[in-house]
Amino acid sequence: MGVHKEQLTLVIGGGAAGIEAARVLGQAGYPVVLVEKSNRLGGVLNQLASSFPRWEDPAQFVEPRVKDFEKCEKVRILLESTVSGCQKVKNGYQVKIDNKGVAEELQVGAVIIATGFELMDLSGYGEYGHGSFANVFNSLEFEAVLKQWAAGNKPEKPPVVAFFKCVGSRDRSKGYPYCSKICCMYTAKQAGLVKDLFPDGRSYVFYMDYRASGKEYEEFVRSVIEDKHVRYVRGRPAKVLPENGRLLIRCEDTLMGVPVEVRADYIVLAAAIRPSQGTAEMAQMFGLKTDAYGFIEPEPFEAVKVQERVFLAGSCGFAVETLGALQQGAAAAAQAIAVLHQAD
Amino acid sequence: MNATTSPVNQYFKALQLDETDSSLSQEILENCGVDIERCLECGKCSGGCSNTHIFDFTPRKIVQMIKIGDEKRLLHMDSLWCCVACHLCVDRCPSGIDIPRIMDYLREKAITKGIPATRPTVELFHNLMLDQVHKKGRVSELYLILNYNLKSRQYLKNAELGPQMFFKGKLNPIPARVKKMDQVRRLFRPKPGQKGEAR
Amino acid sequence: MNSPRVITPQERLGTKPEKVFLFRSCTGSMEYPGTESAIKEVLKKLGIEVVMDPDQTCCSGYILTCSGHTPEASLAVTARNLSIVEQRYAGLDMFCFCNGCFGYNTELSHILKHHPAYMKMANEVIGQWGYEYKGQVRIFHVQELYYLLLDEIRAKVVRPLNGLRVASHYGCHYLAQQYGLLDDGDLPTFHEEIFEALGATPVFYKERRMCCGYAVGRGFTHKESVVQPHLGRKLDSAKEEGVELITTTCPGCNVALDREQNNLAARGFGPYNIPVIDLGQLIGLALGVDLDKLGFEANTIPLDGVLERIGLGKGA
Repeated sequence: MGVHKEQLTLVIGGGAAGIEAARVLGQAGYPVVLVEKSNRLGGVLNQLASSFPRWEDPAQFVEPRVKDFEKCEKVRILLESTVSGCQKVKNGYQVKIDNKGVAEELQVGAVIIATGFELMDLSGYGEYGHGSFANVFNSLEFEAVLKQWAAGNKPEKPPVVAFFKCVGSRDRSKGYPYCSKICCMYTAKQAGLVKDLFPDGRSYVFYMDYRASGKEYEEFVRSVIEDKHVRYVRGRPAKVLPENGRLLIRCEDTLMGVPVEVRADYIVLAAAIRPSQGTAEMAQMFGLKTDAYGFIEPEPFEAVKVQERVFLAGSCGFAVETLGALQQGAAAAAQAIAVLHQAD
Repeated sequence: MNATTSPVNQYFKALQLDETDSSLSQEILENCGVDIERCLECGKCSGGCSNTHIFDFTPRKIVQMIKIGDEKRLLHMDSLWCCVACHLCVDRCPSGIDIPRIMDYLREKAITKGIPATRPTVELFHNLMLDQVHKKGRVSELYLILNYNLKSRQYLKNAELGPQMFFKGKLNPIPARVKKMDQVRRLFRPKPGQKGEAR
Repeated sequence: MNSPRVITPQERLGTKPEKVFLFRSCTGSMEYPGTESAIKEVLKKLGIEVVMDPDQTCCSGYILTCSGHTPEASLAVTARNLSIVEQRYAGLDMFCFCNGCFGYNTELSHILKHHPAYMKMANEVIGQWGYEYKGQVRIFHVQELYYLLLDEIRAKVVRPLNGLRVASHYGCHYLAQQYGLLDDGDLPTFHEEIFEALGATPVFYKERRMCCGYAVGRGFTHKESVVQPHLGRKLDSAKEEGVELITTTCPGCNVALDREQNNLAARGFGPYNIPVIDLGQLIGLALGVDLDKLGFEANTIPLDGVLERIGLGKGA
């Protein structure tokens, strides 16, 4: 048995899914190389101000896991590194790694792709003015604003913040007919945070419906509406116009069938989630099957197995929340272990 | 050109959502104990409502109107006087929003504010009914009907039913009366039909 | 996943053409003859030869929107106009100076090119007189040409506009085209770039993306109570920003925004007194085209104030 444990597993991407996969492998005694493009571990979690449905602090995520890495002594972390090439060999892949500009070659027995997502480019949504109006943000940009506010850098007057859901998602004309799955939840989280920071401020959420299918998710959204008094307005905003330094939103309240106008200080667009650049590169490099939008597609009736010795974890397969990324990371690690055991 | 004084404004009447306030929903919460923010906007209330075919605003819309603070339309709407308080809406509501209670409250508020009922006969009937209880402690159907027909000027309405009901003992010419009337009267401060506290 | 909605003028037009076919506009010729002559003069100053054809008819937009005929008739009319360009002026690109002409020609030629049955039907109709539409001619709007030649225009300005506060009305029928536009459909800025090149101050007003209210003479056919508040809303927001001049790229928009202002004032809106001219006329003004050829006399709201601002007042 011990002999198999010498085979290396390559984890590509140091976000929630990649970290979890590396941790499970390392704790099981399997050597791992974790390749991360940026200069720190944590991925999107580093950008977040809070999390749903339990309002956990994302800053608390990475540290205990890094301790686990140190304890098991099996995980080699390569920051500012990328996978630059691969070749199929017997029982695995020969991969080329660009480690801070230094080329390195490794033989690996399994590969876990955890390259994550990115938000769609919003320049096609001229009606919302992202890029033209200073206070129109996409949801990740707004997380940074929230962090600033939480750190005490607050605007003087309690702001009015309007959240638009389904910007891109469920929009055939923009090429994203799918539901991005997590926006309902993080929008509720952000709108609730605004009300926490500014009890006298206002949060509006413009929605078509809210999809809260998950443990405690529905309760989370309801608590944001009922306890934090975030105003949900049903209707997709049609346009944003500048008005005396503020932003005027026009839309229909489809429940009452009346046109409504709201003036806001900040607008947050829950942009559609699409596979990241790295996902596309890795899919091409390893010859992985992708769906029409570029998300990596697992084999039939497989959760994370993409092909022999290649597994996916996290949002490179489809938009998942942190919990889903952790589940997939653990699942991918378990499957990698299984495959390394079958070697020879 | 000041935008607020331009004649254009009288033509474009988008609902200014940020100018609406939540005082009405707060009022409903305090007086009726009904939290309309719990509304899921599903419309089950309207689907189940007995009278939605004659309502100008369905129960779901009434809850929405409270949410946007549209008090004026709420107090003038026809639904206020068509609602028969069958409680099917609250029975079916997944959030347990007591719409009949809200209707009662709004009706009381409309009367207090002296807003005329869209269905005067309904208001008349309510008043006569209360008046009888006030005077006798119990309701006597014969006098209620006679009084109602007289005052609503429908003198012969259901007249053919009267003798039949009388001979079957359904209409008692001697009105029922409660013994301790002073206690009953003290419950009514001020008298029904007068402006002021209706209850 | 979709083809990009916004492209550069170089991608769209390629290099500067030597000679172009100018597609006349019925509304333009009828209401503001100065527009057509101004555009011809501007293109002449830019070294582009302009040809036109007396046989060219209405773009068929009116045939469609006035609900008088079947869509098939419109297709035949479009096919005929385009075949005239193809057959008589082979190799030339067609330039419209009306958003309506541009929109309908683009849309109907797209339908013809993508539905062989319609193409056959239209060609059978126009074949009686020897025309045949092959679907080769490229259709552009003349504002795209201005933007392509922005640097050249900037270099040729002889009457800088002195910081005149100019606002743009782009017009729905250009911006609502789905693909291959020069700019964003909701927050376009390329007219503003042109204004700056001419020495004017571009002004953004709240309702700049709002429709002009023309829509084939509905300003005349509908009740005033329908049309006027619509226009009032747009002009109110322009006036709030201190706009001195509005430009259009569509004679229809020009009619709606210019002609109706006195009626609006009579009904208590405004008064606005903001002159409305074509973008080509504004460029002509800056490039030193003779005032007679710009034809400002046709405007309901006189341009005296504007001309004074740039040193061309009556006293000068």
